[in-house]
Amino acid sequence: MVDAGHHPKINVLTYSELEEVRGFVGNFKVKVKKKPRFVIPEKCNGCGLCVDVCPIEVPNEFDEGTTTRKAIYVPFAQAVPLVYTIDMDACIECFKCIEACGKLEAIDFSQKEEIIELDIGTIIVATGYDIYDPTPIKQYGYGRYPNVLTALELERLLDESGPTMGKLYRPSDMKAPGKVAFIQCVGSRDDIHEYCSGFCCMYTIKNSLILREKYPDLDISIYYMDIRTPSKGYEEFYRRAREEGIKFIQGKPSEIAQDPNNHNLFIYSEDLAKGKAIRDEVDIVILSTAAEPRPDSRTLGSKLGVTSGPSGFYMESHPKLKPIDTPTEGVFIAGSSQGPKDIPYSVAQGSAASSRASRILSSPEWEIEPLIAFVDADKCRNVRKKCGICETRCPYGAIIAPEGKPAYVIGAKCHGCGTCVADCPEGAITQLHYTDVQIVAQIHAILREKPEEKILVFTCHWCSFGAADTAGNSHLKYPPDNRIIKVMCSGRLDRKFIYEAFRIGAGMVLASGCHPQDCHYITGQHHAERRLKAVPKILERAGISPERFSVKWMSASEGQTFSKVMKESSETLKSIGIERIKEENEKAKPELEKRIKTFREDPDVAKILLADEKVDIEA
Amino acid sequence: MEEDLRIGVFVCHCGSNIAGVIDPKKLAERASELPGVVVAKDHGYACSDPGQVLIKDSIKEYNLNRVVVSACSPRLHEPTFRVCVYEAGLNPYLMEMANIREHCTWVHPDYPEEAFEKAFDLIRSAVAKARYLAPLETIKVPVTNKALVIGAGIAGISTALDLGDMGYETYLIEKEPSIGGRMAQLDKTFPTMDCSI
Ligand code: SF4
Ligand code: SF4
Ligand code: SF4
Repeated sequence: MVDAGHHPKINVLTYSELEEVRGFVGNFKVKVKKKPRFVIPEKCNGCGLCVDVCPIEVPNEFDEGTTTRKAIYVPFAQAVPLVYTIDMDACIECFKCIEACGKLEAIDFSQKEEIIELDIGTIIVATGYDIYDPTPIKQYGYGRYPNVLTALELERLLDESGPTMGKLYRPSDMKAPGKVAFIQCVGSRDDIHEYCSGFCCMYTIKNSLILREKYPDLDISIYYMDIRTPSKGYEEFYRRAREEGIKFIQGKPSEIAQDPNNHNLFIYSEDLAKGKAIRDEVDIVILSTAAEPRPDSRTLGSKLGVTSGPSGFYMESHPKLKPIDTPTEGVFIAGSSQGPKDIPYSVAQGSAASSRASRILSSPEWEIEPLIAFVDADKCRNVRKKCGICETRCPYGAIIAPEGKPAYVIGAKCHGCGTCVADCPEGAITQLHYTDVQIVAQIHAILREKPEEKILVFTCHWCSFGAADTAGNSHLKYPPDNRIIKVMCSGRLDRKFIYEAFRIGAGMVLASGCHPQDCHYITGQHHAERRLKAVPKILERAGISPERFSVKWMSASEGQTFSKVMKESSETLKSIGIERIKEENEKAKPELEKRIKTFREDPDVAKILLADEKVDIEA
Repeated sequence: MEEDLRIGVFVCHCGSNIAGVIDPKKLAERASELPGVVVAKDHGYACSDPGQVLIKDSIKEYNLNRVVVSACSPRLHEPTFRVCVYEAGLNPYLMEMANIREHCTWVHPDYPEEAFEKAFDLIRSAVAKARYLAPLETIKVPVTNKALVIGAGIAGISTALDLGDMGYETYLIEKEPSIGGRMAQLDKTFPTMDCSI
């Protein structure tokens, strides 16, 4: 910790939060919000005289509220930097601290929030986890029974420099306990959080051994579902605890009751080894509470283009092969923000993240995909009549339509979402590698045979294609009547693709992409949503049942959602039936033909359309 | 599309991950009849060294100008196969993938026949796209060699220390007044029982 504070290459910005990220790999423009401390670091010598005079006391979050701190404070004795901070939510502005500080003049109430702008090549997200608050688990009485503690509270009580100088007392009467019990998996592996928090078994064993060392006669039991000790040296550690007389009872307590007179606690549980229900009277119960995602992790994630999985922890690019990468090139994740981790694992991930980042940082140049857009100046109508739709669509200001001149794309700024391409009324814009002709060729290939039995699914590269991959990785089965065509962003989804699919006989079409807050291209999904909203009505008017077209937004981690949507679509398809689909398609043809008119005007696309029609006539 | 199309299709078995549900040989046979396809082959593991050698050799032998790899997700192996075709002299963007593992055999093990038809459609779609692929040049961007680490708990601190030791200017931001995170709250940590700070 101190090393990081002193490192000549590391600039520590505490009391600071990420405000905004723009740009791309190697070239991020980052805004950091530095909150005012109201204390000038260079002038504060850490004497603490201000603390003595401050009249305000609030719960100390560092000690998990087991102690109090003043409105002016340092979070803990070894804090880096060792500079006082005024908590403005608590401060009453009596200014006694200014007086106490005297000639040092380190306190400055005029400090304002500051925005620092940084040029950055790579970003590593290591925002950690939160601890589950067990108050909602009523049957354990946390918050009501004084002698029920969380593991982190115990952790603070055991600290020699903590609130009780490392001594364990019953909070109700400050008497020394004779018997304590730990309860494992509180908030993990249950309805609250499905996942295993991973490190609680080990910290409970650790705390039981610390207690054993301090109080050789203390009766210690641990209620557990399974003891998980997969890492190196952990099983040995567990054995030691058993050898030292810690009792391990397999069972998840159903209830804790309290004797209202002496605050003793009664644990009601089953004991699987004995095969019976037990009741155990103890002085203190310690809940091994779950690790959970930070409450602001989604907000932060959407600033960075990092999505969260179903558990709320950040999602890696690939669970096996890219555990540190995220979908945004140049942004990496380390530590518990990706999922609960113990210290050795977090340290290892930190090193891994630094190595992934240094691949980029050590190169003078980085290669990025050339999937950009360009304008066919001859087709752009802006020359004749003011248009500029494309300019309003681009999330990056990469396409410009100067008055009286054709629009043009600034290649280095274009991220290749394809939103402008789909919204250009003249079909004047092309996206490399996701051209109209390529996508129409795919639609025709997939619908070549028995089109009415198929569900054509358009996905974006990052989220819904990822969701289909996740469904695959987890082997979540669904019916095989769907076929995917991938674009980079749902913003690329031109309505004509959907009309063309139905025109040549598709059974159903599903358009998909990311959730609005997760869009890899900021607003691409937003434009897709707006554009696709009108489609069901148009289809209905043409004679196509609206349920044959749907739009679904999902993140890359939502394999479950993908699989569910595929199952439901398949059922819808079957319930409508081939005959009705064929009838509807036949009826809708003239209207759909009108809607895809610009395809006929593009010679390459027209060729595909004609070639298929010719085959059909011959057949 | 005036140039003569010479597409090669490579169907991967992925051990039994694909071949356990559908027959890659038969898929390759059918793919070989698609317009523009001059050769279609199957291989146990397309991504392995021998698999890649097969692709590279075929590019040379059949003078291929487009390649379709029908295997796992492009989100996994697209970079691999792009490099592979590049090493055989093709522009990397002349390679297209069909995902017949994650999107097919892994999710349709109970419907081998329909899975086969779906896999063939996915290949047909990739071949159709391949017909219209154009060579592209990657864009080179400059790199600012500075890093930002968000969160100064144990993971963030170790990242920053390693990056700093490598000589990169590193910004370590922390929303609390002190760095240290959760770890600073722990007196002794397992399995060594030493102090955490
Ligand atoms: S001004 Fe605020 S921080 Fe200073 S002594 Fe008064 S309450 Fe405490
Ligand atoms: S949207 Fe199309 S027609 Fe309009 S200015 Fe842009 S390129 Fe030109
Ligand atoms: S809208 Fe998308 S594709 Fe069009 S110029 Fe902007 S970034 Fe490029």
